[in-house]
Formats: sequence, structure tokens, C-alpha cells
Amino acid sequence: MLVAWRYRSRPRSFIQSFDPRAWMMFYGCFLFSTLAFWDVRFLIFFAAIALFVLLTSGVTWSEIRRALLFIVGFVTIFAFFTFLTGRGGVELYAQEHLIRRFEAPFSILGWTPALDVTVERAFFGVSQFVRVFSIAIMTILIPYSLNPALYGITFRGLGLPDKIAYAMDLTMRFIPTFSRDFQLTMDAQKARGFELEKIGGGLIQQVRKIGPLMVPVTIHAIIGSEDIIDAMDLRAFGIGPRTWLQKLDYKMKDRILIGVGLTILLFSMALSTLGLGNFWVPPGLLALAGG
Amino acid sequence: MDKRMSSVLIWLVAILAIFAIIVFVLGNTLGIERFQTDNATLGLRFLFVIVGLLIAFAVYLFTKENKAWEVGTREVVWMAIGAALYAVFSWYFNATVFVVPSLSQVALRPAIAIPMFFGYAFGPIVGFFTGAVGNMFGDSISGFGLSPQWSIGNGLVGFIAGLPALFASRKKATDTVLWVGGALVLLATVVYFLNRGETNMMFFDPANNVFGDQPIALTAGIALLVGFVLVLVVRFAFGKNAAVGEAVIWGMLGNVLGIGFAAISDIWINGFSPTAAIVGEFLPAAGPNLIFAAILVPLLVAAYAAVQRQSGR
Repeated sequence: MLVAWRYRSRPRSFIQSFDPRAWMMFYGCFLFSTLAFWDVRFLIFFAAIALFVLLTSGVTWSEIRRALLFIVGFVTIFAFFTFLTGRGGVELYAQEHLIRRFEAPFSILGWTPALDVTVERAFFGVSQFVRVFSIAIMTILIPYSLNPALYGITFRGLGLPDKIAYAMDLTMRFIPTFSRDFQLTMDAQKARGFELEKIGGGLIQQVRKIGPLMVPVTIHAIIGSEDIIDAMDLRAFGIGPRTWLQKLDYKMKDRILIGVGLTILLFSMALSTLGLGNFWVPPGLLALAGG
Repeated sequence: MDKRMSSVLIWLVAILAIFAIIVFVLGNTLGIERFQTDNATLGLRFLFVIVGLLIAFAVYLFTKENKAWEVGTREVVWMAIGAALYAVFSWYFNATVFVVPSLSQVALRPAIAIPMFFGYAFGPIVGFFTGAVGNMFGDSISGFGLSPQWSIGNGLVGFIAGLPALFASRKKATDTVLWVGGALVLLATVVYFLNRGETNMMFFDPANNVFGDQPIALTAGIALLVGFVLVLVVRFAFGKNAAVGEAVIWGMLGNVLGIGFAAISDIWINGFSPTAAIVGEFLPAAGPNLIFAAILVPLLVAAYAAVQRQSGR
């Protein structure tokens, strides 16, 4: 049985009103533009785009709740730990300006837990949050808004050869199915007394524990593939140039979207070439910290 | 060489040349800071994507008559299955959903057995797609950053695992690979013992305030050597079942060269020193991979052989 991503047709959705090829190109431009910046002032612009897309996507809260909370939680924890330790940003700033130092009133074996709140750490945490959040939002919306019937033709339309486009199509379709198979297998093995989480045994024992989970899922997938291969062979897959059931046509708005995406990308490249968009902290805060 | 292929090759070389000019001429010779190797990371990542693709392409070019390069219906479906499985396993085992306990700095990454097995069982193209596309999807569903050079590195793991099909005398080639792989493993381990103070950059443990900055533990440093010993055990203990030994040995070479490719590219991309890239990144990533490969790949190969006997395909 195939399990599908949670796509459904949403007539009022902003994302879904575009040709999926145009949307993927815009997404690509967005992704690489965002990666060019560490300056939170620039990143806010990308976060605004991501939020706009999310709010106009027509995806309801109940549909996206789990995925969204997971991503936001993950990004928040990640950024928070970066803030606490100040690590991760060391490549981007050399000097730190202390705002306040919190020290624990106790010490363990001569070590006193302390937290230095510096301008750089705080802003690095914020910048990282905004950056990863923008990319994550745009990424998780793809399975919700891309019609599975159009996966293949979309990748084909982006210039991949037929066979590779079809393989990408199948990959995207298989991911939710195998994810379900994985969980079913894990439950089934647990019902038989399989204890993956139990720590103990040597390294080899630990590794062998993965076997009862990985082997059935993989072999099941390979056996299942025979049916798909037969079905494709019977339809003469790969014999001649492929035709696709659906057709995609660029409309004016799709061209505009691609144009906007490319403009953003070019601007980002130009700005980062000029050395703008590097890690930034507000000078006011630096002055406050006595820098 | 037919026309289409030469045009592909010309394009690849042209792109490579453009990157090289930007980085080396503008950056290092003229001293424009923005283009120096440690600043221009985004471009460099893609440079290494292209280098990785060129390596695969060159191997293809020299052996293009071989049947291993055929891509039919079966291969298309296997590519998709491999990539989807790799993405799903990476997500379950490495994302926060379901954390396999890691043993003193040895990050457990069992999913690596998938590209190796798919490469070995179904050929280099399937292996490459499984590793590269699977890693890309795995990264994007688990919300981690984008490291295209690591995707290509994973692709190379599967690609190299699939190469034994190209050799007329598979046994001889496999024996050579065993000793070449062994020599590389020993070399990396020697580099570790000479630089034991390097930090383990692959080891993150936010709960204990460790962010890839602890000195590398002995377990992580010698993991690759342990993996090699396991490979030897598999090779000689399963002497009768040649396929098992072959899969593990070529998987080992794939792991050493593929992960090595990604780690070494970080010398230029992230500005690591060569010893930091080898000791801090390559060993803690490739070592545990090899341990997993040596144990899980034989299980998969044996299970698949049983399926083949049963279905006659």
C-alpha cells in the first residue's frame, strides 16, 4: 500500500497557483540566496517571504501542526544551545562583547557553571534561528503543496532526463511509504521482544541490533519493487522517448515568479560578493556592552 | 566519443575552470578577500560537487562498453527504492526522532549500509543515485543544513561499491582492493596517532555542552582500524560465500574514498587543516561507517541472495 504525503488541491493557495517547475526554481533561488547571508537584517526579508508563503499556502493548522512544531522546536533548541555555548559562531566573529555574566551560586569540584551573555552570541543565535527557520518552512511546504501526479513531469521539465526524473518521482513517493513500513516493522519486532533502545553489550552487539529492523524493511521494499518493475515493463517503460500524462505550461505569473527568484538570487550574490550580509550586530548594543 | 558526451564533458570542464579562476586568481592571487578559499564556501561546495561528478564520469568514460552502466526499468526502480530507504533510515537513526545511543564519541550511522548494498547488488549508477539523492532528501526532511559535497561523497560510496561488476577477474580485483583499502586505513590511523590532540568535529552532544570540540577519543580514532579488522574477519570467515566478502571490501573502499572526498573537500570549503580534516572529520565519520558496513552489509547480501534464489530473478 502506498502512503502519500499530505497533498490536496487547495484552490485558494498561493503556492499551488503556480506551475510546480516555477515553484521549484523559486525555491532553489530562495535556498541559495538565504545561505549567502548571516546578517539578520537581510535574513528577516527571507523569513518574511517564508511566512507569507506559509500563511497563504492554504495548509490548515491541523494538517501541518506536527511537522511545524517539530521543526520550530528543533530550530529553537538548536539556536538556544548555540546561544548558551557560543559555539558554532566562532568562525564568524573573533571578538565578543559581554553584556552580563551569570554565575551559578555553587561550584562542582572547583568548576562554577557560568553563562556569558555576549552581544555576538545572542545575535548569532537569533540569526541562526531566522536563517534555518526560513529554509525549513519553505522545505516542509513542498510535500504539502506539490501534486504527486506532477512529480515526474516537474523534474523532467526542470531538465532532468526521463529516467532520472522518473526515479526522483518514485523516490518522493516511496519515502512516506517506507517510513510507515519502518514503523510497522519496529512495532512488530518490539512485540517480539526486540529492544533497540536498550543500552548494553559491546559495539558489535549494538550494531547487530539494527539488523532485525533494517533487513526486513529493505528486503520487503526490494520484493515489492518487482510488482512496480513488472507494471512499468508492461507499459514499455524506457523503450522510446517518454510522454507524460500531464502537461505543464508556463503562464505569465510563473514567468514572473521565476524572474523574481532569479532577481533575488542575483542581488544576493552581488551583495555577498561586495562583502555585505556577513554577520552583523547592532552597534547600539555594542555601545551598551561597553565596546 | 560521441558528440553528446563530448559536449557534456566540455561543459563540466568549463564550469570547473570558471570556479578555479574565481577562487585562485581573484581570491588568492589578487587578494580579494571575498573569494579566498575560506570565504567563498558556497561556490566551493559546488566546485566539489562537480569534481565528484567528474570522477564518476571519468570512470564511466573508460569502461562505457560495460553492461554495468545500463539503466533499464529495474535500475530506475531500484534507484528510487535505495534513495528513499537511505533517506528514511537516515531520518530515523540520525534525526531527533529516534536516537540510537552513541558509544563514546562513535556516532552510529547504520544507514550507510544502504548505498553500499544497493551499489554492490544493483550497480554503480544505482549506488550513486541512492547515496547522493538519498542523502539530499534525508538532510532536507530532518531539517539539517545543506552540504552538497557530502551528498556527492555519499554518492561515491555507493558508486564505488558497485564497481566490481566492471572487472573481468572479480576475485583478483577484490583482493587488490582489500590491500589498497587496508593501506589507506592504516595510513589514516597513523595520522591519528601522530595527531591525537585534534578535536572530534563530528561529535555533538548538546546536553553535555559538546559541540564538535572535544579531543578525539581513542574509540573514534581507531574505529576505522576496528572496521578493517571486521572486514578481514568477514572476508576470511565467509571464504565460501564470495559475494559477502566482495560486498564488504568494495563497500570499504567506497567508504574510505567517498567520505574521504567529502572530508578532504572541507580543507578548502571550511578552511580546515589537512590533519583536522583527516583526524577530526574523516576518521570519526568513516570509522563507525565501516563497522556498520562490515556487519550490516553481509546481512543484507545474504538476505537478498535468499530472495533471489526464491524468486529466480
